Amino acid sequence: MTDREFGNRRTEDAVSQPSTVDPRPRVEQGPDGRYRVEGIRCPSCGEVATFAWPRCPACRSAVGPASFGPDGTVWSSTVVRIPVAGRTPPYVLAYVDLDDGPRVLAHVTGPGAPIGGRVRLAPPSADGDVTVEVLA
Amino acid sequence: MTVAVHGVGTSHFGRQPHRDLVALAADAVQEAFLDAGTDDIDAVWVGTVFGPPGVAQRVLRAMGVTGIPVVTVENACASGTTAFAEAHEAVRTGRHGRVLALGLEQMSTAFAGAITPEPTDPEGRSGLALPALYAMAAARYLHLGLATPEQLAAVSVKNHAHALHNPRAQYSGRHTVAEVLASRMIADPLTLLQCCPTSDGAAAAVLAPATGGAREVTVRGVALRSGAPWNHRSPHVWGHDLVRRTAMDAFAAAELLDATDVDVAEVHDAFTIGEIVTTEALGFVAPGDGGKAAAAGVTALGGVLPVNPSGGLLSRGHPLGATGLAQLAEIVWQLRGEARGRQVEGARLGLVETMGGGVSVLDGNSCVVAVLEAP
Repeated sequence: MTDREFGNRRTEDAVSQPSTVDPRPRVEQGPDGRYRVEGIRCPSCGEVATFAWPRCPACRSAVGPASFGPDGTVWSSTVVRIPVAGRTPPYVLAYVDLDDGPRVLAHVTGPGAPIGGRVRLAPPSADGDVTVEVLA
Repeated sequence: MTVAVHGVGTSHFGRQPHRDLVALAADAVQEAFLDAGTDDIDAVWVGTVFGPPGVAQRVLRAMGVTGIPVVTVENACASGTTAFAEAHEAVRTGRHGRVLALGLEQMSTAFAGAITPEPTDPEGRSGLALPALYAMAAARYLHLGLATPEQLAAVSVKNHAHALHNPRAQYSGRHTVAEVLASRMIADPLTLLQCCPTSDGAAAAVLAPATGGAREVTVRGVALRSGAPWNHRSPHVWGHDLVRRTAMDAFAAAELLDATDVDVAEVHDAFTIGEIVTTEALGFVAPGDGGKAAAAGVTALGGVLPVNPSGGLLSRGHPLGATGLAQLAEIVWQLRGEARGRQVEGARLGLVETMGGGVSVLDGNSCVVAVLEAP
């Protein structure tokens, strides 16, 4: 390809790039070795979320940073048995209500996650999925 | 100003990769124009989810609908009813005299199976396909004893049987509960026959001020809401609260206290659990009675409150952007007494509910509820 000029813009500049932003919740390992999800807490209404948004999704107030976990309770779960882009079925998904925070979607290590069962945040998958392990 | 639906039309619903959106939309729009007795419209609202860009003008020019305001809207599965809601508002406020609402979608050429989860959405990026989202609600219902697997399956049995009387439906059949439960597992506990199919189609409606005409179906009230945060604070499964709140808005607009007087409804049964939760959220049945009602025939043709006489999304099909207007067309036919083998006798008040999903944290992308009255 030649470096043809259009005004002051070169053709290469117009080539699209894949986004480098991962929208999934960010999981960090604390000094105690436990994993927690980074997010926000609303000082006005108490709403929590596992995302670094500038405003409270419930009441629009300014929010502060918070982290949640590592333990929680399974609100519900399912086993996905159909092909989904970039995934190999079957895989287990659960909505987990973290003890001090919001409901987070997580992949589950192991064959299933009984509703009401206790789980703990585990290291995220290599690809970046929030992951929990079932506590005995 | 009171608004009426003066004409409706739809394409056939199903996998139709051999037909493009120009052809599918032409079926719907020409039938709606014929039904309304006019093609003299002042503006168009078009609902579609996957586009492509420019699709509205591309399909409309083929019918000579050019040189007027055309607006395309996207609210996931509620895109068609969003187009309807906005068209209604345009007529109600006097902004336009006669408006076309059009919904269209071609999915067979885009997806081999379930819709690819949106990678810019946190849960979509995490692999939460829509069947899995509904499956979590279903699993929760089963866990709490609010429904049984057999009651879930009963919704599929009912809607497939309804579709036997709908020649435009994608699927129909006399399935048994056992057959539904034995079909391939998609996302536990939802089996294949509990999931809407991949569909192509279009549907349209012509709206104008009500004049008391013998074939005019009056719009009593329409409401549109986006989802609010859904999380550990909600006592209900995903979607319930949004449907409930939107329904209350629609009932208020229709000057109704609740759903008591509704005779027939088309609601969002993309998955069996969706119809169960929605009939509860709309107040058709008491909380926790949605599954029992389906299994007992309360919501079947011939029952107290028939739900999804067209076959619903489960059987008629679910071309996303077209769905809301396909639901509307069914209710218009029902209220005019033109629904033939699936007619709900004496239906005077009808309800349409469409629910869009696919946005993490919110209990739905958007919901539309409309209440319509017979001529």
